[in-house]
Amino acid sequence: MYGYPPQQTNRPPSPAPTADSTRYPSLYEHPEFQSLRRSFRTFGAIAATLVVGGFLLYVLLSSFASRVMNRPLAGHLTLGLALGLAQFAVVAFAVWRYTVHMRRRIDPAARRLRAELGRPEPGRAGRERPRVPQEGRFRAW
Amino acid sequence: MVTVSASVANRLSLQLTFVLFLSVVVVTLFTALLTAPQRDEISEFYLGNRNMSALRNGLAMCGDYVSAATLLGSTGLVALTGYDGLLYLGGTTVAWMTVLLVIAEPLHNSGRFTLGDTLALRLPRLHRPVRLALAICTLTVTTLYLVAQLIGSVALLTQFIGEPSQITRTLCVVVIGTIVVVYAALGGMPGATFIQVVKAVMLVAGVAITAVVVLTHFRWNVNALLSAAAHNSGVGPRFLESGLRYGGGITSKLDFFSLELAIVLGLAALPHVVMRLLAPRTNGVLRTSVVWAMGLVGFVCLAAGILGLGATAIVGREAIARIDPRGDAAVLLLAQSIGGGVLTALISCLAFVTLLAVAAGLTLAAASSLAHDLYGEVVRKGRATQAEELGVARMAAAVIGLLGMLLALLPWETSTASLAFLAFAIAASAILPALVYSLFWRRFSAHGALLSLYGGLICSILLVVFSPVVSSTPTSIYPHVDFAWFPLQNPGIVSIPAGFLLGWLGSVLRPHQETVAQKEFEIRALVGAVRG
Repeated sequence: MYGYPPQQTNRPPSPAPTADSTRYPSLYEHPEFQSLRRSFRTFGAIAATLVVGGFLLYVLLSSFASRVMNRPLAGHLTLGLALGLAQFAVVAFAVWRYTVHMRRRIDPAARRLRAELGRPEPGRAGRERPRVPQEGRFRAW
Repeated sequence: MVTVSASVANRLSLQLTFVLFLSVVVVTLFTALLTAPQRDEISEFYLGNRNMSALRNGLAMCGDYVSAATLLGSTGLVALTGYDGLLYLGGTTVAWMTVLLVIAEPLHNSGRFTLGDTLALRLPRLHRPVRLALAICTLTVTTLYLVAQLIGSVALLTQFIGEPSQITRTLCVVVIGTIVVVYAALGGMPGATFIQVVKAVMLVAGVAITAVVVLTHFRWNVNALLSAAAHNSGVGPRFLESGLRYGGGITSKLDFFSLELAIVLGLAALPHVVMRLLAPRTNGVLRTSVVWAMGLVGFVCLAAGILGLGATAIVGREAIARIDPRGDAAVLLLAQSIGGGVLTALISCLAFVTLLAVAAGLTLAAASSLAHDLYGEVVRKGRATQAEELGVARMAAAVIGLLGMLLALLPWETSTASLAFLAFAIAASAILPALVYSLFWRRFSAHGALLSLYGGLICSILLVVFSPVVSSTPTSIYPHVDFAWFPLQNPGIVSIPAGFLLGWLGSVLRPHQETVAQKEFEIRALVGAVRG
């Protein structure tokens, strides 16, 4: 059960198509997998750089360009405070775009590739799954 | 450190707090025992059988993440330093972006019980040394953070009864520590989840009520709140400008940036948060639960900002600083002045439950790492039975709790915040590079993993030892000696790049030929086809 890593990896890749491990690397060259990989990484890298990098830039600006950030906009609201509130909006926007991107671009492709592997469900370790329906006392709500 | 002559609360609210806290503890302990794993199954103990819904898991993530340092410490920071404190709250929210965009789904797809399983899958040849290194880093991070929570409980008690005697201090740490160990050792993941969900609901409700009361006090006019805060801060409009706390010189500006860097990046590698990411069954549930958690954390942070500003506006900065120079009493003082004894009792009970929930999550994460990675895979080389591993996990929870209590009882004059920040810095500089590289970098090798794990850990600890936290300033642990050649209190700005650099260096110097394992891992991380 804890023979982790799976024993397959210790075997040299054999030509026999029955083993899962030989199908994994062949799927790797699949054009759809490559485009999926590119799409996931590009979005993640760009979004994370923009949001997290943008926040760190805002922190740096607040310390080193305090003149600009302390400019009042309306009443006691300064440019710095407004940008700080905007961070929350930016985060919300990025989360929304991320869920849309995953639903439209990543999930369908991943489902198709999973079918290619002959695994109908993205279930976790197969051994645990059949037990769950009997589970009565710790239901999800 | 905290010299309280006038205590925050009166006798009524102290008794009310005690009753509330006791009833929450009793209810959650019973539920933890009822939902505790009945069979000797590690998947149930570590991950609660993965049958949690998105909302429940999102609440538990929020409960795991928002510590007493955030609730009391950061509102105090806002109350004392205004703008700089608000920046800190922003970082706390933005940190979740790293989790959602970079780590969450690939880790969930490729993960199993612990972070060590993910690294082992990626680097199968040398997976035992890597697991060992990872377990050492995990233990360091969780123990530091646990000690921070326990010290926080003493600090909280101080708000009520003044400087506690050695016996009261010991009693407080031992009682809190024992409850935490019971949650983690007997309840496992279901038990810890329950207390975290309860805590998250209480937290959201508590801060929402208080924020609404504060806003009503100013007739929902934010400008009036800002104006009153600036007026009562004693420093005028400078309160709403940057530089009140960190503005001194270039060193303190860099120090603050270093802290924000560690907060923004460290969250994604904190062991108890990572464990929560592994708990949902499917990717969809995980995504929804992280979005829930982000919404809740964002809400709590916004409300905490309002509470901090409100505390300055209503109580006044002088009064807060007089009770506790670090500002930890701000929110309690605010509750006392706007809601009387009942609200004070509610908020302080909330703070104690917060401590409990975070500490339970930490203890569980440390115990999983010890039992699964260290005992199951390194000591027994994967031959341990489930029952055996589970026994070790329960024992490990007790040992970790005991270690935390002992360390918390050492007469260190150290603050909750600096220990918690060190834990964030270590997570970001040791665990995060190994995690990010193994998820996204094709040429990452086991030697790179070992170098970044040990290197990042040693680098951040050494930098803190030779920093003003340990020596040379009146607030240091050893104020009378001076061996602080590193000027910053937060090592992140140096140690995080160092961790990534070491991981790269190790992989380039000692490359490996695990292309099959690497391709398999990448497919698994993206497509999510997991074999048993």
